[in-house]
Amino acid sequence: MNLEQDSTTPEHVVRRDFLKQLSAASIAAMMISEPRQLLAEDDGITQPEAKADACILIWMGGGMAAPDTFDPKRYSPFESGLEVSSMLSTFPAINTAVDNIKICEGLEQIGQVMDRATLIRSAVQPDLGSILHSRHQYHWHTGYVPPQTVACPHLGAWMAKVLGPNNPVIPPFINIGQRLEGVGEKEELKAFTTAGFFGSEYGPMNLPFPEQASQSVQPPKGMTAGRFSNRDKLFRKLVDQSPQREYLSDFQQESLVRSMDNAYRLLSSKDRQAFDIELEPKASREIYDTGRFGRGCLLARRLVESGARFVEVTTEYVPFLHGDTHNSGHETVARMHSEMDRPIAQLILDLEACGLLDRTLVIIASEFSRDALIEGKPGSNANDQATFKVDRITELKHYGLHRHFTGGTSVVMFGGGVKKGFLYGKTAEERPLIAVENPVTVADLHATIMTAMGISPKTAYGIEGRPFYVTEDGKGKPVMDIFG
Amino acid sequence: MHRFATWQRTIASLFVILLAAPRLLSAVDDPSGTQQPLDFAHQIALILKQHCVECHGGENAKGGFSLNTRELFLEDDMAVPGKADESHFLELISSTDPKQQMPPPGKPRVSPEKIALLRAWVGKGMKWDAGFTFATQKYEPPLRPRRPELPPIVEGRSNPVDRIVDAWFAANSRPRPKTIDDETFLRRVHLDLVGLLPTPEVLSEFQADKSSDKRTRMIHELLADDIRYTEHWLTFWNDLLRNDYGGTGFITGGRKQVSGWLYQALIDNKPYDQMARELIAPQTDASRGYIDGIKWRGEVSAGQTIEIQFAQSVAQSFLGINMKCASCHDSFIDRWKLNEAYGLAAIYSSRQLDIHRCDKPTGETAQASWLFPELGQVDPQAAPAERLSQLASLMTHPENGRFTRTIVNRLWAQLMGRGIVHPLDAMQTEPWNTDLLDYLAIHLQDDGYNLKSVLELIATSQAYQSATEVVSQNADVTGYVFAGPRAKRMTAEQFVDNVWHLTDSAPSRFDAPVSRGKADAATVENTTISAKWIWGDSAVKGTPAAGEQLAFYKTVKIDQPILSAGAVFTCDNGYTLYVNSGEVGKGTDWTMLGAATLTTRLRQGENTIVIVGKNGGDGPNAAGLFFEARINLADGQQATIASDETWQYLSEFPEKTPVHRWKPQEMTWQPVAVVPALDAWSNAVNPVAPRLLVQASQGTHLKVRASLLQSDFLMRSLGRPNRDQIVSSRPNELTTLEAIDLANNDVLATALSRGGTILADRNWPDDDALIDYTFRSTLTRNPTSAERQTLHDLFGEDVSAEKIVDLLWALCMTPEFLLVR
Repeated sequence: MNLEQDSTTPEHVVRRDFLKQLSAASIAAMMISEPRQLLAEDDGITQPEAKADACILIWMGGGMAAPDTFDPKRYSPFESGLEVSSMLSTFPAINTAVDNIKICEGLEQIGQVMDRATLIRSAVQPDLGSILHSRHQYHWHTGYVPPQTVACPHLGAWMAKVLGPNNPVIPPFINIGQRLEGVGEKEELKAFTTAGFFGSEYGPMNLPFPEQASQSVQPPKGMTAGRFSNRDKLFRKLVDQSPQREYLSDFQQESLVRSMDNAYRLLSSKDRQAFDIELEPKASREIYDTGRFGRGCLLARRLVESGARFVEVTTEYVPFLHGDTHNSGHETVARMHSEMDRPIAQLILDLEACGLLDRTLVIIASEFSRDALIEGKPGSNANDQATFKVDRITELKHYGLHRHFTGGTSVVMFGGGVKKGFLYGKTAEERPLIAVENPVTVADLHATIMTAMGISPKTAYGIEGRPFYVTEDGKGKPVMDIFG
Repeated sequence: MHRFATWQRTIASLFVILLAAPRLLSAVDDPSGTQQPLDFAHQIALILKQHCVECHGGENAKGGFSLNTRELFLEDDMAVPGKADESHFLELISSTDPKQQMPPPGKPRVSPEKIALLRAWVGKGMKWDAGFTFATQKYEPPLRPRRPELPPIVEGRSNPVDRIVDAWFAANSRPRPKTIDDETFLRRVHLDLVGLLPTPEVLSEFQADKSSDKRTRMIHELLADDIRYTEHWLTFWNDLLRNDYGGTGFITGGRKQVSGWLYQALIDNKPYDQMARELIAPQTDASRGYIDGIKWRGEVSAGQTIEIQFAQSVAQSFLGINMKCASCHDSFIDRWKLNEAYGLAAIYSSRQLDIHRCDKPTGETAQASWLFPELGQVDPQAAPAERLSQLASLMTHPENGRFTRTIVNRLWAQLMGRGIVHPLDAMQTEPWNTDLLDYLAIHLQDDGYNLKSVLELIATSQAYQSATEVVSQNADVTGYVFAGPRAKRMTAEQFVDNVWHLTDSAPSRFDAPVSRGKADAATVENTTISAKWIWGDSAVKGTPAAGEQLAFYKTVKIDQPILSAGAVFTCDNGYTLYVNSGEVGKGTDWTMLGAATLTTRLRQGENTIVIVGKNGGDGPNAAGLFFEARINLADGQQATIASDETWQYLSEFPEKTPVHRWKPQEMTWQPVAVVPALDAWSNAVNPVAPRLLVQASQGTHLKVRASLLQSDFLMRSLGRPNRDQIVSSRPNELTTLEAIDLANNDVLATALSRGGTILADRNWPDDDALIDYTFRSTLTRNPTSAERQTLHDLFGEDVSAEKIVDLLWALCMTPEFLLVR
C-alpha cells in the first residue's frame, strides 16, 4: 500500500496520542444501558486463542449457485429442448491448484489460489417456509432468524464489540458495496446491517460506493484542510468557554466531546488514505477493477492493512439483479464470474504478499445456493418463485439455476488458521444436491468463524435480563476439522 | 400474586428449618435417608440452595442454565425424571474433571451422600413442590392505585411533585438542586414539550416578561400548541408502539401503520385509557396495526408468532412487563410464566394456540387469560373481538394501577431523563420514590387520563425546573439517588428539526400518511360528504376483473382566487391521484382514506384531476373510486369537487406515459357509472372523511417535522431505531460514527451552508447583533464576553457566509446544544 505523508494533516493532530484516549465507547460502557458481557472466567468458558485479527466477508448476495461456482456437478451445455430436471451445472468443471478440488469454469484465478483455501461444500440453511432473501441474509449475518424480540447484532458488530478496533482510528466494522436506500427490501437489509442492541458505536460504517469511500472520511465537500482545522479549533474554544464548563466533569458531556475528537482524528489522520482507492498504484487498481465489487475488494484490502477489524464486501443484493437469478441464470452467473474471479484471487495474493493472510480470515459466502428444479429443500413447502416454470429449455433465458436452494451451499475460507487446499463436506452427485456429509448449519458456521477470531461461540451479553449469545442460544459448534 | 406469597413462604421456611432443626440436616447427610420418602423442600431444595442456586437460581442462569423451576431444570436434559444416568447435572456434580465439574473448582464439592439423595430424587421422578421456585423477588409492586398522603408544603413549593420530592430531600438530608434560570428553563421546556428550540423572539419576550407566573403560562402555551406538541410526541409514541412509515414487513403486506390514528389521538389529546382501548380492541382498521404486529412471510419460531408478538407488545407498551422471556420459557428474571404469556396471546388468537417451550410443543393448549386476574378475567369462550374488548376493559380498569404507573413513569423519564422506576420496561422494579410514582398515576386517573395534565404537573414543579444532575462515572453503582433531572441527548428528530429551523431547510414533503393540523369539531360536524363511489362499465355489466385499471378524469373551472383547498380520496384497491398533472397522492390500501392539501395545486381557472385506479384481488371483485375536494374561495364561499356521474373514464390509456404528457382533451373519455357503496367502503371512509377533509382543506403551511419522515441516513446514525422492536428510550451517548456523520454529512453540510448564507445576507446593524442572534437561536442565551470576543476574532474584518456556516456547525456540536439540559 502506498501511504504517503499527508501534507494536509494539521500538525497538532499528528502529535496527538490516539491510543491513550479513552474512547467514547468505553465511557458509554459505564452507562447502565450498556449491555454487559456475561461470560465470566468462573463459568469455565474461556475465549479461544485467536487465529485471526481481521475478517473479510465476501458476500455473494442473492444466492450463489454452488453448482455453477464452487461445487460443479454434471455439466449440461445449453441446447434447446434440454430438460430442466436433468440440468445440474451450466458450467463445466475446471482443475484448480489442488488435485481433488474442481470448481466451475470462469473461476480460473480463484482456482489458482484454492491451495490456500478450505472449501466447505456442505453448508445448509433452513428454508423458513418461504424464501425472502433479506430474511435469510438476516439469519446468516446475525445467526438469528427474524423476527426477534431484541435487535440482533450483525456478526461484524460482535467482532467490534468483543474485540474492538485493531487501529483506534479505523472503525472496526465496515460494510462495503450494499446500498441501503433506493433498493428493494431495503428496510429488511437495514434491519440486520446494524449493531442491534449493542448500540451504534459498534455498527457498520456503510460505504456503498467504494470509489466514493474517501469522501466519508474527508472534511465536508469543498472544505479546505485549513478551514476544517479552524472549524475544529472554534468548536474546541466554544466548548472550553461555555458557561456549562462547570459541568464538563459530567462524563456524558465529556463523551460527546471525545466522540467529536475521535471523528476529527480520523478525518484528519493519514490513516484515512486507506479509504481512497485512487491512491492505489494504477496497475494494482486495474487488476481489481472488474466493477463496483472488484473495487470493493481492493478497498477491503486497504482497510484491513490499515487495521480494520471486520470488513464485508458484497456483490450487492438487489432483488432480481446480480446473484438473484430468477431468469437468464447462466448468463448472469457468467458475468458474476468475471466480476469476482480476479479481485478475489488478487485479494488473497496481496494479503499473502504483505504477510497478512495468516492472520486474516477471508470468507466467501451467500445466503443459500440455487437449483434448477427445487425451491427450498426437497419436500419443502416453500412457494416456488421461479419466473419461468418450464419443463424444457427453449431459450437462453431459461438456462440457469433459477430456484432458491437451501440444502447444500458452498463456503470458501482463506487464511485465519484454516487448512490449505482442504475440502470439507460434500453434496450428492445427483439431484437433490443436498449435503450428504458433514452438514454445517448457520450456527456452526458462525461458531467456526468466531472461534477463528478468538470469540467463544458461547459468548453472551445480557440484554433485558436475558443472555444473548453470539451463536444461537450459545449452541453453535465450531468445525474444528478445518483448522490446521 | 398469591402464588408469589407462597414462594416466599417456602423459601423462608427453608431457612427456619435450617436453623431450628439440626436433626433434619443430619438426615440429609445420612445416605440411609434415601430409604425414606424424599422431602423436596427440606432435603432436595436445601442441597440445591447450598450448592447450585448461587449461579443457577434467582436472577442468575450461568451457562444459560437455571433451576428456578422444575421445567427449567429439565431443559437440555440437564435432569431427566426417572433417569438418573441420563441426567447431565448429576454427571457434572459427580465429575472429578476440573474443566467439567460443578460446582466449579474452588467451591465446596457436593458430598457423596447428597449426590446419592439427588440421584434417588431424580430416580423417583423429581417431585417438585407446586409453585416452588428459586426465583428471587425482593420487591413485588402493588397492582392497585394508591393515593399517597401529600407531605406539608415547604417554602411555598406547593406542586404535589415538590411536596413529595422536598419531603424526600429532607428525609434523606440531601440538598435540593438549585432552580434554573429563565433561559435554561425556556430551552428545556420547549425541547421537552414541543421538540423545538425557542426562537430568539420568544426568548426576548420571555426575558422581558416580569410576571411571576410566566413559566406556568409558557408551559400552558406549549401544551396548547397542538400541532407542535403532536409532531414532537409522535416520535415517542411511534417508538413505543413500533409504528413507522416504512420498515420490515411492509414489503409483503405483513404490517400496517397506525399513523393517522395516532396523529389524531395526539392532536385531540385523546384520554390515555381510550387510546389503549382503541389500540388493544380496535374498532376500525386505523388503529389495528399495533396488535397485528409484523408478519414475516414464511415460518417463524413459536416465540415470535403474531399472537406472541401481541402478548409481548401489549405487556411491554402498557404494563412495562418484559414478556419476551416468558414467551419461550418461564422467566428467569420476573414472575411471569410461559402459560401466562400464552394466555395473553390466546386472547388475540383466532386459532388454537399450542404452547411451545423453547420452540417445542408442550402438548398443552393455551387458554385465553390475562395477567392480573385480581381485576377480573377474559372469557376464553368469547369470540376474539370480544376477548380483546374484555382485555381493553381490564387494562384500563380503574383499579389497574400498573397501567397508569407505567405511562406516568415513561412521561417522567421523558422530561427528567430517568424513570422513577428504572428500567422503564421492568416495572416490577422498586421505584426510588413510591409516593411520587403513585401520585402521578392517581393524578392521571383523576384528570380523566389526560396525558398533557401529567406533563403539566411535572413541568410546573420545582423538581423539573431545577439544575441537571452532574452525573459522575460512578453514578448509580450503589443505587440511584435523585439529584435533579438528568440531561438527555437530543433525539435524532430533535436535532434534525432544530437544524432545519435554524437554517430554513426543512423538506417540502413528508412520508407519514397523516393530515396535519387540527380540525375544529363544529366544522367537522357541519361537513357533509357528497362524493359517490364510481367505476367503469365493467361494474354495470358484472363484476370488475382483478387487475382492471382505469383512468378517471374531471375538469373544474374555479372562477376566483383560492384561499385554501384539500381533498380526501381512496380507491378499492389502489390509486394514484394527479391534480393539474402533479402527483399528490398514492395508495394501495383502500381502507386508508388518503388526504392532501391542494392549496398550491389548484388554481383560479381550469383544473384537471386525473386518478388512475386499479382493482386488485385474484378474481372479479367490487371496485370503486372515491374523491372529494373542498375549496375555500376568496369570497368566503366554499366549492366542492366530488366523484359523481359527471366524471369520465378510460380503460385504454397511455399507462407508460407520464400524466403531464397526456393530452386529455384529445382522449375519448366515457361517462363513469356510480356504483353502490359496499358496507366495508362506507365503514372505512364515512367516519373519518369529514375530519380529514376539514384538516386537509385548511391548508395552512406547516414546516415539515422529522417525525413525519421515514428514517434516513442521518437520523439512523443519530439513534432513530428501526422500529422492529418496541423502544422506550433513546441513546444518550454520541458515538464516533455519529460524530463522523455530524462532521461531514452532506445533507447537514448543505443545510448549514444554506443557513449561513441566509444569515450573511441579512442586514445586521453590527457584528454583535449577528453574534447575539446565533447564540440566542442555538443556545437560547446571550454570549459571555469571552465568547463574544472569540466570535469577533473569528469574524475579523470580513463576516463571510463561510465563517457563519462554521460557527453554526461548531455551536450545534457543543454539548450545550446537543443536550436537553
